[in-house]
Amino acid sequence: MSLVEVRHLVKRYTADGPNAVDDVSFEIRDGEIFSLLGPNGAGKTTTISMLSTLLKPTAGTALVNGYDIRTQPMAVRRSIGVVPQDLALYGKLSGRENLRFWGEMRGLGGPALREEIDEKLTLMDLTERAGDRVETYSGGMKRRLNLAIGMLGNPPLVMLDEPTVGIDPQSRRYILDYVKELNRAGAGILYTTHYMEEAQELSHRIGIIDRGSLIALGTLQELTQMVGEHEMLRLQLYEPEAGQALADGVRGLEGMHQASAADGEVVLSVAAVETTLPQVLTTAADLGVSIRNVEIREPNLETVFLHLTGRALRD
Amino acid sequence: MRKLSTLALKEVKLAFRDVGAIVTMLVTPLVLTLAIAAAFGTGTGGLSNVPLLVLKQDDGQISRFVWEALTAENVEDLLAAEMVFDEADARARVEGDEVAALVIIPPGFSDRVIPVVGRAREALGIDLLSLDAESAEALPEEMQEEIGRLYLESREPDPDPVVVEIYASPNWRISAGVVRGIVTQVLEQMSMTAQGTTIIIEELIARGVPEPQAGEGGAEWFSGVADGGFESFADSKLPVRVEIVSPTGRGFRWLDYSATSMAILFLMFAVTAGGRSLLAERQAGTLSRLLVSPTPAVAILAGKMGGIVVTGLMQVLVLWGATTLVGSYWGAPLGVVAAIAVLVLCASGVGALISAWAQDAGQAGTIGTAVTLVGSAVSGTFFPRWNLPAWVQNLSLIMPNAWGIEIFSALQMGRGLVGILPLLGGALGLTVLYYVVALIGFRRQFA
Repeated sequence: MSLVEVRHLVKRYTADGPNAVDDVSFEIRDGEIFSLLGPNGAGKTTTISMLSTLLKPTAGTALVNGYDIRTQPMAVRRSIGVVPQDLALYGKLSGRENLRFWGEMRGLGGPALREEIDEKLTLMDLTERAGDRVETYSGGMKRRLNLAIGMLGNPPLVMLDEPTVGIDPQSRRYILDYVKELNRAGAGILYTTHYMEEAQELSHRIGIIDRGSLIALGTLQELTQMVGEHEMLRLQLYEPEAGQALADGVRGLEGMHQASAADGEVVLSVAAVETTLPQVLTTAADLGVSIRNVEIREPNLETVFLHLTGRALRD
Repeated sequence: MRKLSTLALKEVKLAFRDVGAIVTMLVTPLVLTLAIAAAFGTGTGGLSNVPLLVLKQDDGQISRFVWEALTAENVEDLLAAEMVFDEADARARVEGDEVAALVIIPPGFSDRVIPVVGRAREALGIDLLSLDAESAEALPEEMQEEIGRLYLESREPDPDPVVVEIYASPNWRISAGVVRGIVTQVLEQMSMTAQGTTIIIEELIARGVPEPQAGEGGAEWFSGVADGGFESFADSKLPVRVEIVSPTGRGFRWLDYSATSMAILFLMFAVTAGGRSLLAERQAGTLSRLLVSPTPAVAILAGKMGGIVVTGLMQVLVLWGATTLVGSYWGAPLGVVAAIAVLVLCASGVGALISAWAQDAGQAGTIGTAVTLVGSAVSGTFFPRWNLPAWVQNLSLIMPNAWGIEIFSALQMGRGLVGILPLLGGALGLTVLYYVVALIGFRRQFA
């Protein structure tokens, strides 16, 4: 059975503007963690906003827990939990008050809600600070509370929109472990991220989205097989601004599949490291580019993204 | 319904946990009210013994009336008028803030205000204003005919109106305003009486009373005119009033006026800030989260506005209690409660309107502050409303502040709930208008 069935979903914000989401179709199966992986602006948040009924699709539709997002928005909302990318919390209320408020807005109440609030506070390690105003919390604590609110009512499907943006490694680990725990307890998860590592660690299946289009879909294994025997080289430079020149310079080398520069690094997808790397180093020397570090990686989601788009995931 | 109360309660909690908001909502208006009361006193008018100079360059009857009005018994506590003769010296005293204002009555003032009186004095050497029926009949017929002729001639309008200058010190604005009010009132009374006299004379002529040239009937005609017109003018009382005296005997008091006008001003700040919070929630992401909860958008909006209204009610009720403790009077309790409820609703409409049409919270804040301050100023928050020109008073009725001041003034003058119902109706009508326009904006934003 499918928790989510997306059918040719399109979103255009202005009549003559580009499609923010362009004919996207996928499904999320029962008990599955499904990740939408893509760079910023790829259309992840727009997709999740349509599936959570915040935005109306321009075309296409989706069934969420069996309810049509166009015609049964209230039923969809009752059947899902949403963890937005923004820290959607009231700073002047305490953590416990925030949980109670959002729980009541979900239609929960009474002793059951009180028990669940205690349980969520314990799970998120927030019990000691539950009575303090949220504005005094650290970023990680706020992220955990943001997550806990989305889980209220234990919905069968939880949508998490980049829940680990801008937090410390410890809180990130907390959240990733909790998502896995939640999934083990039976909830289906739609998880959007631009962190390849998170998608790799969490997901049963991954959809790679870029410029509004779903460009690849499958398990991690299925996706990495798409790039064949290619390996990835990551070059860190002393002069970050020289990255583009080096990427352009090595693009024509034998065995070079893709070359991209971003954030002071050059990411290369190559057929055989042992033959291509010496040529890359020679080209760098010719161009006067100093390389600080070379990292060789097995095919992964970043390689897949590079393979499919010609750009690094962080471009 | 439960979600509505949850939303409203959340709004109230947020408002009262914000130190800045509490200062704006409660502390500032209270302190301002007390400061104004301390500055002007809590007694009648808040003003007393306003030092005033009068330069009377005209010895006519009407100038005397103005002088008498400014020194009359009913204003003797309010004004301390002093006759002066040296204009330069008088102006210097105003500039030195020694006195509030200098009233300059120009030469020929009386004669120009009612020309026939001046012409009769000039041509015949008689004072029409001092004539009664008996002395008029005793005048020679030729003189009566001449007076009739002068009257007909004097009906030509004066192209150059006479000007009474009130040279006021900028540091005594309110006092100068009061003086202007008294002088204007005297002159308006004069004008009305003169017009009445003219109408009487013209009616007599129209009824076929012999024209001045008719000879025989001249004395009768003139004495009738004198009885009905000039005498009434001469004897007419000049009811100079600065304050409005209510049936309850309560007069205008700065403490009462400022307590209510300040409460409405800061209510406006609070509700426009509340309206702005809707946009702030949109920017913070909590509005999106609310919209994906199983709660209809209309309920979210209603709950939010409900919270803003409850916060406003609590704010004004607290201010009512606090200012009453320091001696302010808002009116009969039932009327005050109704007025507060209506005005809070009305003010929340302004908040809704701004938040529905502003681009973001920052813009809403700027617009809210500007609308509140300008609206308050033109409504008469900082000075007596009735000192404003009539068109400004009428225009300001698009603001809750103006309705609030009108309603509370009526209550403070002794009207009860029934007496203010028309005013409450007007404010409610404005509220409906605000919310209709706001809903159009909200539909545009959230559709």
